[in-house]
Amino acid sequence: MADTRTTQEKIRDYLKGKLPGACDLALSDFVQTAGGWSHEIYIFYANWKEHGRERRQGFCLRKDPGSGLLRELSSLKEQFAVIKALEQTAAPTPKAYWYEQDPSLLGGPFFMMEKVEGEVPNPWSRAGKQFYAEAAERGRLPRSFVEALASLHNLDWRAAGLDLIGVPGPGKDFALREIEKWETLIRESIRKPEPVLTEVLMWLRANAPHAQRPAFVHGAYRTGNLIIKDDAIAAIIDWELQVIGDPMYDVAYVLSDLNREGSPLLSCVVERDFFLDYYQQLTGLKVDLEVCRYYEILYMMRSTAFWLSASGLFAEGRNKDLRLARTTYSVPVVLDMAAKALGF
Amino acid sequence: MIPAKQLLNEIVSSLRNVIAPAIAEPYPKAQAYMAAVILEFVMRQVEERSDIAEGKREALAAMFLDLSRIAGADRLVGGGPATDAELSKLIERLYTERAQIGEPAFTAANRLVRQTLRRLLDQELKVAGKGDG
Repeated sequence: MADTRTTQEKIRDYLKGKLPGACDLALSDFVQTAGGWSHEIYIFYANWKEHGRERRQGFCLRKDPGSGLLRELSSLKEQFAVIKALEQTAAPTPKAYWYEQDPSLLGGPFFMMEKVEGEVPNPWSRAGKQFYAEAAERGRLPRSFVEALASLHNLDWRAAGLDLIGVPGPGKDFALREIEKWETLIRESIRKPEPVLTEVLMWLRANAPHAQRPAFVHGAYRTGNLIIKDDAIAAIIDWELQVIGDPMYDVAYVLSDLNREGSPLLSCVVERDFFLDYYQQLTGLKVDLEVCRYYEILYMMRSTAFWLSASGLFAEGRNKDLRLARTTYSVPVVLDMAAKALGF
Repeated sequence: MIPAKQLLNEIVSSLRNVIAPAIAEPYPKAQAYMAAVILEFVMRQVEERSDIAEGKREALAAMFLDLSRIAGADRLVGGGPATDAELSKLIERLYTERAQIGEPAFTAANRLVRQTLRRLLDQELKVAGKGDG
């Protein structure tokens, strides 16, 4: 017989199995978020009685929709393992609860984690920009932004078991592995040759820098991927692109114009000089601006790979999200940025 | 870029099969279905811009001709048609055979290639860029 339960009812029934002491379990404030390109994301509270007392807990559930962006490069199982491993560290992250591979439960693999209280203003929106600009004026959030990044780069990733995500060899290996990873996605997505992208890829290969020292790197550290509460980073989220690699990879992302759309502040929240000084003070690392410039071009290649993959999924009818259709026009724009960065 | 008709076709499919059915309110639901109907008519009206393809063809043909005149780099020019695919192959060979070609020829050829890439990009930006095209 066909399962006629709604997603909300299926999640409630799943939670009943995970919380055997819970009576009268019900979900409230159940929302499927509009954000996220790779996974379906559900946010809700579970309310139940246990030993006569009322309990309430917030959850976030990420589910593989089967045709999301970066599906081949970002395994939910690995994301869960990373968030779990990070619980033991100083990095602010949500608690990871359960991972399920069985598609019969919700129609695809998923995991559940803590709903961290706070807000994630969209830095691309006018309201978001205003939020970050005002927080920058008050001064606490810029410090917290740098401290949270430093907490990632300073953590002992081997001791935390984060080598599960793969460890590059010394020297240029990190950059070359990143290029190879994104080139794989490009090969799978591309429907016609993109000579500008070929030039960017060949230049990246020919100019790969030596990594300063291996660190745990988020891969997309910016406002919009950070939960904020009381002007501080309550949690770093969006664990899809993390790698062990050159910490300058994250620094370059923060320094990049890609993430501030006209704001004079890095990531719309932190002044450049303050970021550089405080980051170097907290990590003991020397920011190499030439290397950061290289990684910024690598990010442009990565964005191109995203957009080629996204528009390809839509063009082939495998994903009906209109946001993916829009990205077909982003490909020449980001290639234009890369070309200008390379001087043509 | 996705060809215009293919893109419109998928948008129609998305409107008809995903967006409209998910709308509960009768008025916006009918609007979403009507948008799908109209886009099907629009699909019959539009044609891909020929000036973009023509501009690219010209840029590519000129580059392959100029490249054949650069001593050292001329060996990279095959006899195939002047296409995006041929240019991509040529760029790969330019870098992988850099040592054999020699640095002066590499630099001259790379400059020429990049000038052409700029012309190709400018054609695509007629549609994707922020200007009027």
